[in-house]
Amino acid sequence: MIFFSNAFNALEQLVTHKMRSVLTILAIVIAVTATITVVSVVQGFTRYVSEFLEGLGTNAVFVAPQRPAGEAGKALGRVELDEQDFRAIESQCSALRRVSPLVPREGARVRYGRDEITVSLEGVAPSYHTVRNFPVDLGRPFAIVDVERAQQVCVVGREVLRKLELDEGLVGDSLLLDGRRFRVVGILESKGSFFGQSLDNRVLIPYTTALKMYPVFRRNLILACEAENAEMVPEAKAQITNLLRRRHGLKPYQPDDFIVQTQGEILATFNNVGTAAVSVLAGIVGISLLVGGIGIMNVMLVSVTERTREIGLRKAVGARRRDIMLQFLTEAMTLSLIGGGLGIALGYGLSTLASMHPRMVDVVVPAWAVLLGFGISAGTGVIFGIIPALKAALLNPIDALRHE
Amino acid sequence: MDGQPLIRLQGISREYRMDAEVVRALRGVDLSIETNEMLAIMGSSGSGKSTLLNILGLLDVPTAGQYWLDGQDVAQLSQSALARVRGRRIGFVFQTFELLPRQTAIRNVELPLIYTGTPQRRQLAIEALERVGLADRMKHRPNEMSGGQRQRVAIARALVQHPAILLADEPTGNLDSRTSEEILDLFETLYGEGQTIVIVTHEAEIAQRCRRIVRLRDGQIESDQRHGDAGKRTAVAGAATGGGGG
Repeated sequence: MIFFSNAFNALEQLVTHKMRSVLTILAIVIAVTATITVVSVVQGFTRYVSEFLEGLGTNAVFVAPQRPAGEAGKALGRVELDEQDFRAIESQCSALRRVSPLVPREGARVRYGRDEITVSLEGVAPSYHTVRNFPVDLGRPFAIVDVERAQQVCVVGREVLRKLELDEGLVGDSLLLDGRRFRVVGILESKGSFFGQSLDNRVLIPYTTALKMYPVFRRNLILACEAENAEMVPEAKAQITNLLRRRHGLKPYQPDDFIVQTQGEILATFNNVGTAAVSVLAGIVGISLLVGGIGIMNVMLVSVTERTREIGLRKAVGARRRDIMLQFLTEAMTLSLIGGGLGIALGYGLSTLASMHPRMVDVVVPAWAVLLGFGISAGTGVIFGIIPALKAALLNPIDALRHE
Repeated sequence: MDGQPLIRLQGISREYRMDAEVVRALRGVDLSIETNEMLAIMGSSGSGKSTLLNILGLLDVPTAGQYWLDGQDVAQLSQSALARVRGRRIGFVFQTFELLPRQTAIRNVELPLIYTGTPQRRQLAIEALERVGLADRMKHRPNEMSGGQRQRVAIARALVQHPAILLADEPTGNLDSRTSEEILDLFETLYGEGQTIVIVTHEAEIAQRCRRIVRLRDGQIESDQRHGDAGKRTAVAGAATGGGGG
């Protein structure tokens, strides 16, 4: 009975001190919302990128010519990677399952009728479909004969169809690629978008055809390789490095004039960036928790004098210490629960809202972020609500009443 | 309370430590108060009269001496037993009213009942407010009431538990003379109904309306005078020659 009348009394106090209650709740809401939103967006982002990169296959290995930095690099002659290197790697590296050259031509113009758009044009071998996990879902992929004869055939991505406002009837039809007529033989399965950039705005042609069109790439090929399995990736990297150093006649003291990058390394690079981003945002979250906490403290401590007198009076009319503590605990916990609940709801809402943006990733709200935001703000609220009350409750009633 | 006084104080002292200095507010006060007395404690400021009242009301703890309330040595009581006695046996009226500012009169009067878990609090609070003549101000907040009305609410709050003793610390100190008169009339009515009342005041006219006047000086009882019931409403100053001593 006394318990309930005490608890009810506490709730009544919250209603009568509207401003104080609202400010406290607001501070908690801000802290909890900020924590949940920031953490979940960053987490969702990181997870999305990791999954995407893993989806490209952890077995992939890329080789590209690269002049080493510094004096050693300047001392080297021509830095190149040509078709002979490709053949040698394809035939001699046992740890590799497939290799495809890649002639990257960004900003190629595609023309169909009067419409013209810009795409990423890639000159590749048939194995590229498998290495990069770009299967064809309509028509056919490249055949070896397309490459050998340098046929003017192409496989297009879904985004190209969309931009040209064409349907799948394009297969068998032809279009102009950088002014040359190509027959469309297949359409790539959609890969969606990454960081808002469509992965389907792409046209594949045989690399032999690409080299005819853009001869500058003859000595500047990129190789997309696929290792036998994930365990063989380091071995594959070593084989490629040894072979290319030998073929390029590099002396032991000379650095590599090429770069071999594995999917795992790309993932690791990204993860470093991700960790840095998380640290920065953790700082922001920390600040918002601090600001929220200070807000709560401020509201609680500002009312200490008034409340100390109130406690003195309550004791003078018969309140026991436990009645006082119960009242203040109920007040602080109610504020914390309301604020925390609103904050969590708002945090989830903002995260969901963020997910809905077309260029945003699916956001996941981790439980620990909820607990962290709620724990710190509610903890601050309860501690700074209770400690002054406890101090006042221990005073003689008259000392609490005369508190200045 | 057969033969045993409602309140008995023996050798009560109260010292405060202020920085290096020790202030002795009370120095060995002996005092007995019987049921249905109306007693004034007088003295100049700093004489220790408020300290004495706070100790009587269990709001303060003496540094030395013993205090029996209803024959019980209060030093033996636990904190929660003290709270219980404050709630049930003592009604305290403050010079500054000490109402909860944001709550209605009726809520303020109900407050002591919350801590005794009394049912029908509202009904009891209404009765108490009717006793002090505030039946028409129950839903008003303190800032919507005059000083006299606020003090009546405070008195109603002190009375709501039907305490054994009503303690009032300068109850008219913040009121004008006409309102003070009303409050004193109210005290006399309550006294007439059998209520034990102790009023701290420094005003002679107020003290004259009490049956007994205890004067304090420098923390000690200087005089303790009683005058007969004959001069009930218009006690004549100086005429009273009740049992002196102190």
